[in-house]
Amino acid sequence: MASHGVAKYNRAARTEEQRQQDLEKIEKYRQIEDSIRSQASAGTYDTALFQLTSKLLRLNPEYHTIWNVRRRCLISSLLSKSSTSNSSPDTMPTPHEDQSTSTTEQSASSTAADADSDADILRSELAFTVPLLVEFPKCYWLWGYRQWILEQAVLRLPTATATSIWEGELALDSKMLTKDRRNFHAWGYRRYLVARLETPELRGKSMVEDEFTYTTKMIRVDLSNFSAWHNRSRLIRRLLDERGADDKARAAFIEAELDQIREALNVGPEDQSLWYYHRYLILQLIHHSQESTIVPNLTVEERISYIEREIEDIKDLIEDYDDIKWVYEALLEYTLALGQLRQASQSTGGDDDRQNEELQTWLAKLRKLDPMQAGRWDDVEKELKSRRETT
Amino acid sequence: MSGIQELPDELQLATAQHVKYIQSLDTRKDEYDYWLTEHLRLNGLYWGLTSLYLLRHPDALPRDETIDFVLSCQHSNGGFGAAPGHDAHMLYTVSAVQILALVDALDELDKRGQGKAMVGKFIADLQNRETGTFSGDEWGEEDTRFLYGAFNALSLLGMMHLVDVDKAVNHIVACANFDGGYGVSPGAESHSGQIFTCVAALTIAGRKDLIDVDRLAGWLSERQVPSGGLNGRPEKKEDVCYSWWVLSSLAMIGRTHWIDREKLIGFILRSQDLEQGGISDRPGNMADVWHTIFGLAGLSLLGYPGLDAVDPVFCLPKTTMERVLGKAR
Ligand SMILES: [Zn+2]
Repeated sequence: MASHGVAKYNRAARTEEQRQQDLEKIEKYRQIEDSIRSQASAGTYDTALFQLTSKLLRLNPEYHTIWNVRRRCLISSLLSKSSTSNSSPDTMPTPHEDQSTSTTEQSASSTAADADSDADILRSELAFTVPLLVEFPKCYWLWGYRQWILEQAVLRLPTATATSIWEGELALDSKMLTKDRRNFHAWGYRRYLVARLETPELRGKSMVEDEFTYTTKMIRVDLSNFSAWHNRSRLIRRLLDERGADDKARAAFIEAELDQIREALNVGPEDQSLWYYHRYLILQLIHHSQESTIVPNLTVEERISYIEREIEDIKDLIEDYDDIKWVYEALLEYTLALGQLRQASQSTGGDDDRQNEELQTWLAKLRKLDPMQAGRWDDVEKELKSRRETT
Repeated sequence: MSGIQELPDELQLATAQHVKYIQSLDTRKDEYDYWLTEHLRLNGLYWGLTSLYLLRHPDALPRDETIDFVLSCQHSNGGFGAAPGHDAHMLYTVSAVQILALVDALDELDKRGQGKAMVGKFIADLQNRETGTFSGDEWGEEDTRFLYGAFNALSLLGMMHLVDVDKAVNHIVACANFDGGYGVSPGAESHSGQIFTCVAALTIAGRKDLIDVDRLAGWLSERQVPSGGLNGRPEKKEDVCYSWWVLSSLAMIGRTHWIDREKLIGFILRSQDLEQGGISDRPGNMADVWHTIFGLAGLSLLGYPGLDAVDPVFCLPKTTMERVLGKAR
């Protein structure tokens, strides 16, 4: 009902044989569906029903109601009753409450056996969904189901076992991201896995260094991977805080990032991912409000000189690449930001007339290279004019 | 928009074919795909019906059967499933409310359904009262799509007072990125679909002042590629459904003039199936009702002739919104 990338075919052109094949498939599918519905409405969420859901979900992993039936089967029949799972609507007394008078030894051993069996079941649930995930990497319900299974592991298993399951999941996520580097489900899932692994319920220690290294690795493989650049930008503040970075270390950090992106831009200035990350770094230099930047204690003069240096380097790019619109967009944006910084510090610098001339030249270039955004350039022109009039 | 009448046939809107295509959707019970997509039935009805309204053929599907079908999907907790036998979920509940608003039958909820109040309660109970965001159902998956859906349906029901709007707004702000866009949750990459949900939710909440308009508009207008189509994120392929997510967001912040509208019109029209009707993700591909509605809604926002005006926040005809919000007030 929402197909992507499927080539057009004529629906009416099915042969009678193909139609018969479709009808057979439909009958098989609806038989399984009917059995599931009648069992579920009778409230028997048992192993037999569980196995039926496997059959149907292999045919159609988008069928979210069937995932819910499967969860109910796991809670009612397959998993032990020892968890304090708040997902469980089951108010029956648990076996362990029944045994409350027995010796703690017995109870401990039965708990251990339960945990072993639960671990096996949860692992096999994850294994069941792997081939489906590989085939349907953008299916929301699949990612959501795995997330639920992982939360069951936290609720039901000893910390070490749960942690190893979660770590396995992180490895799987890395594999998914090798297959599709931009899959936003897999990136979101990764952030979720890491955030949970960092809590005391699991590993209990920060993974920010590892994750930062991961983005470096992904960027080396593919400089155009904006998802990796984005994730990097979201990690830096914590990374520097946890390193206990002082002002000098912070300045060195942003310089190294600027060097890296400058090198990349020298080779691939048409890559908008690089420009977006560059813009992120420049924003760190522009911001006045302290808490929202990774270099809070740079003086205005230092900020100005960093940005001036970037602008000069970008101007150098024009010599080799004078028909890349991103170059002019950056020059325009950064020069305007620089003007504001100078105003804020009441420092002079830059010849206003020369600068206005440059801005007009770049805007003219943008109009030529990117006529589709003509309306935007009109607005920029108005803005430039009103700035000139107010200064 | 001058000169559209002189365009060749393949660049005209194939209204009659689209109407026929949508009418045919529920007659395909001998196709396997019909059954595999049952989990989208109620959404599909909303997409198809809204398409018909925009095409000015609101009566092309029978109103009584539409209402009966919608009500047959309702659960005792007030929520709706995709079809009878499917579990209730935010996504279907929103479609149900939208359909009933469209056919002017919200009152049927009190007459024959579980009551408007129960629908509102089902939706409001899915708000996470700590973070302000919403989950889709009892199993807990959270996403800004559900937050927007809740705001959309509760506005139509006149029940926004049931939720903590300020907390939801704070959550959206936490989803904002340096590029001016929004992600599916705090920390997530900007994505046109999610930008639509966040900008629309902020619009409903009356908090557009929190949007970094120029930065966001710049990011959105960069989504147009040489074919005229729009993509969802940097370095991705263009797709007709983004005509809606990107364009409606630009409309809400007053910047549709930042893209080339004529070129986008051309891209959408070239994605039509002129024989079988419907619109596909890009030219030459298989049409479906999802790309049909978002292609038509895009054309409507672009002022294409022969289409009713669409509301960029609710993705319903403006006339519907005037009628419903007039009543809710
Ligand atoms: Zn699409």
